[in-house]
Amino acid sequence: MKRRDFLTLSAGTGTAAALAACGSSGPSNSGGSGGAAGAASYWALSGQPSEPIRRAAIDRFNKANPSTQITGTYFANDAYKQKIKTALGAGEGPSIIFNWGGGGLKTYVEAGHVEDLTDWFAQNATVKDKIIPASFGAATVNGRIYARPVESVTPIVLFYNKRVFDQVGVQPPQTYGDILDLVPKFNAKGIAPFSLAGQSRWTNMMWVEFLLDRTAGSDVFNRVFAGEKNAWSDPAVLDSLTKVQDLVRADGFIKGFSSITADSSADQALLYTGKAAMMVHGSWSYGLQKANGGDFVSSGALGYMNFPPVDGGKGDPSNALGNPGQYLSISTKATPEQKEIAKKLFSTTLLEDEEIKGWVGAGYVPVLKGSETQLSTSPNADFLKFVYDTAVNAKLFAQSWDQALSPTASETLLDNIAKLFQLQISPQQWVDAMNGVIGK
Amino acid sequence: MTAVDLGPAQRTTPRTRIMRLNWLGATTGWLWLLVVMVPIYWVVITSFKTQSNYFVTNTFAPPSEPTLKNYSMVVQNDFVRYFVNSVVVSVGAVVPAVTISFMAAYAIVRGAGNRWLRSINSLFLLGLAIPLQAVIIPVYLIIIRLQMYDTLMAIILPSIAFAIPLSVLVLANFIRDVPRELFESMRLDGATEWGTLWRLAFPLTRPALVTVTIYNALAVWNGFLLPLVLTQTPEQRTMPLALWTFQGQFGVNVPAVAASVTLTTIPIVLLYAIGRRQLLSGLTAGFGK
Amino acid sequence: MTMLAPPAVRVTELPTTDRGRGRSVVWMALPALVAFLSFGLIPLLGALGLSFTTWDGIGNIQFTGLDSWKAALTDPGLPHTLAVTFEIMILSWLVQTPISILIGVFIAGRQRYRGLLAVLYFIPLLLSSAAISITFKAILDPNFGLGSGLGIGVLNQDWLGDPTLAIAVLIFVVSWQFIPFHSLIYQGAVRQIPTALYEASQIDGAGRLRQFFSITLPQIKYTIITSSTLMVVGSLTFFDLIYVLTAGGPGDATRALALAMYQKGFMANLMGPASCIAVILVLVGVALSQLLRRLGGRGDESQMEGM
Repeated sequence: MKRRDFLTLSAGTGTAAALAACGSSGPSNSGGSGGAAGAASYWALSGQPSEPIRRAAIDRFNKANPSTQITGTYFANDAYKQKIKTALGAGEGPSIIFNWGGGGLKTYVEAGHVEDLTDWFAQNATVKDKIIPASFGAATVNGRIYARPVESVTPIVLFYNKRVFDQVGVQPPQTYGDILDLVPKFNAKGIAPFSLAGQSRWTNMMWVEFLLDRTAGSDVFNRVFAGEKNAWSDPAVLDSLTKVQDLVRADGFIKGFSSITADSSADQALLYTGKAAMMVHGSWSYGLQKANGGDFVSSGALGYMNFPPVDGGKGDPSNALGNPGQYLSISTKATPEQKEIAKKLFSTTLLEDEEIKGWVGAGYVPVLKGSETQLSTSPNADFLKFVYDTAVNAKLFAQSWDQALSPTASETLLDNIAKLFQLQISPQQWVDAMNGVIGK
Repeated sequence: MTAVDLGPAQRTTPRTRIMRLNWLGATTGWLWLLVVMVPIYWVVITSFKTQSNYFVTNTFAPPSEPTLKNYSMVVQNDFVRYFVNSVVVSVGAVVPAVTISFMAAYAIVRGAGNRWLRSINSLFLLGLAIPLQAVIIPVYLIIIRLQMYDTLMAIILPSIAFAIPLSVLVLANFIRDVPRELFESMRLDGATEWGTLWRLAFPLTRPALVTVTIYNALAVWNGFLLPLVLTQTPEQRTMPLALWTFQGQFGVNVPAVAASVTLTTIPIVLLYAIGRRQLLSGLTAGFGK
Repeated sequence: MTMLAPPAVRVTELPTTDRGRGRSVVWMALPALVAFLSFGLIPLLGALGLSFTTWDGIGNIQFTGLDSWKAALTDPGLPHTLAVTFEIMILSWLVQTPISILIGVFIAGRQRYRGLLAVLYFIPLLLSSAAISITFKAILDPNFGLGSGLGIGVLNQDWLGDPTLAIAVLIFVVSWQFIPFHSLIYQGAVRQIPTALYEASQIDGAGRLRQFFSITLPQIKYTIITSSTLMVVGSLTFFDLIYVLTAGGPGDATRALALAMYQKGFMANLMGPASCIAVILVLVGVALSQLLRRLGGRGDESQMEGM
């Protein structure tokens, strides 16, 4: 099939291929690409190390079910976010929709693009009971479940370089107060206290999230999420924002952080090359540092902890932030056969032992309860156990704000967070701007 | 063929150029060459580094242990298919675009008194000011209606439309430079306009045709937005989009990207080296004096 | 009548018998017209239509009259976005034009290495904006880039994190990409200037500088207009470049119109207001090319060589 396409194209006639493609994508069959009967389409993210694991799971499903096939297509992160939106809008989306839950999922639900899976989960309790409960929060809209949590749970944690700490002769921080004390000590030695990929914006957002959560708990953001008028005006928000700006002014972050992007992994390079002492980042960073940091990880120089509590703060120090999982939803536009295939995938192949092995091997913690045994056999056992405990013991595993809010509000949020770190706006201006998009 | 030498693009016989802002021009020229070459040098040497080595070594130092791994990785990643797609899209868009722009430019010059042609010309000139981003959403909806979503045709058709305005402008400027007497003598020989177009205007405007061909081919070859929005499967992916796929979910493999940039640029450099002479003379007449 | 300044229009008085002939060439323009209408003009009208709707890109398109326009025009970010757009436009023109003319005049000379120079100069134009941005981003990394590489501390600036520097970098990258192209245009124009003019002025005892200002510049006037039009209108469409280089940041320091439209439409799901910005973008582009045409009010002096 591929071979033939290829020859057609190299003959220099796009038309034949175009005609062939036209034949199969009539409006009656809007289940997406590759819509032959008995085939469902599935889109997900490309990239190492996750893509091969995703591919392998789909291949296993296709082997086990020769009559019902799933065709997978893989996209880079940013391309996917745009693509899925336009494709759904045009009724050309896949039968199985990869998403991050939260606000994005909510827009799909409101537009009627995704199936309600609440009853299906009730009938398939075995599937539901295996999954970490914290993962279901982001899959739930107005009390109904619209997605199946899959893949891995990735909290945001505080990484630090033990070598640098030893070199300067200081101890890892226990509280936010300790962090503030450490800042001048590292700066005096010409080492940046924190690495930060500020151009990516969401990296800065983690700081605001953690400080607000540790200061006031989860109530404030829950009120924002519920669309309460002027919910950002809580004094705890101003307090946290001021803390952020104070830290920026005290040179807590590496010089030029706004020029650094997370996509190039430069922020992680700063940590393992010893140019920065600490970094707040997603737990997936572990795998990258292991791959790129030479002997940094294997020699035990990488330290990690959950974000420390703020002195006198009301938030539970066990609270975790980040991605409580990735999610798969079923398109309402899919044919009944395609929906059946999707449900079969949900209840059989996903996160079986083979796939768990893949995630664990890559340094991820699957969204499953009781996967400690698999984790303990991994070469990354210590770190994985830490991530697993962080996720399971969290009193609350909050989704990142930009995922939880609607795309409209989260753009404004990221924008204002960038300006806050740039010291371009005051905390009060930030609050006013954000109050303007509540519930949008 | 003395007639052919009448084009303004003729290669001037050597003569003493008197006026030169020599030192200032030369300094700027050479400095700018340096400015141009440094990033290119960086791309080439980086493409031979390993990813783990990339952050540890001096970014301008040649790789301590050069590797071809990035190149083999890029090639293994279906590079050939993306390359063929890009060729198909570029050829499929540029050849028709230049052909119909050439016909239109000829009509606009030869039928200068015609009200319709004047309006058509104005319309194309308006088109120069329409950025692709501004119409991408409706283009997307049209492609869906035509059931061409996720085909190479979906990229080709809008690319043709957006190549027309500038091509017509440049070609019309060039056809204007063809001496009227030549058209006159063709007419007296009883040639039709169609015949004149191909037998007279075509050979005389060849440099300009090469110019707009290369210019448009570059635009289509490097186009990112159309493939991004109008295709979905890897089978239809073009090179710039493929460049994006090397951007993993949480990290860019900089050396691999550098390798793919190098690989995607080589064919174009070759094309340019071949068409350079005509391109330069085409620019001359095309963009006026 | 929209007309960009085309070079030296010679008033072609068609013989009166040509009326039929004029019509006989009209059909030749039709294929291009049809192609341009279907994927250029109709989508433009489509964008205009969408600007009167509310659509999140996912659900149904609803007609909501002027709501989107109100939202787009009252957006506090709009004046800033417009300011950034014009700032990038003016600065990139100011930087590119003098350098392009200088280099153009220089490589119009007869040095033997000129061919090689021209080939090398052209390379930036061959790279995609995305590739260029990725390259510069890596080179400008404040910790692993240029400064550390060359051991010059002063080059370790927060290039993309400081609003002023970010604009400067953007202008630089644009110049890097396009100066060679414009230089080649100027090179061509300079080579067309009849030697006789220089010879005559030399007899009058004019120096090089005088010659440059009294002969070269006036002779390439229309090329300057054409090149400027390409620069100015082109600057409106910088998208890949800004998107990859700064994503409009830091904050919104480099958020030009095209990018604002993309972010509104495809990232914040506000297709209505995004279409309004698209319409504004087109209007600005059309207004500018009109303005430049006025500036280049042309006579019909013919500048054929060897008159």
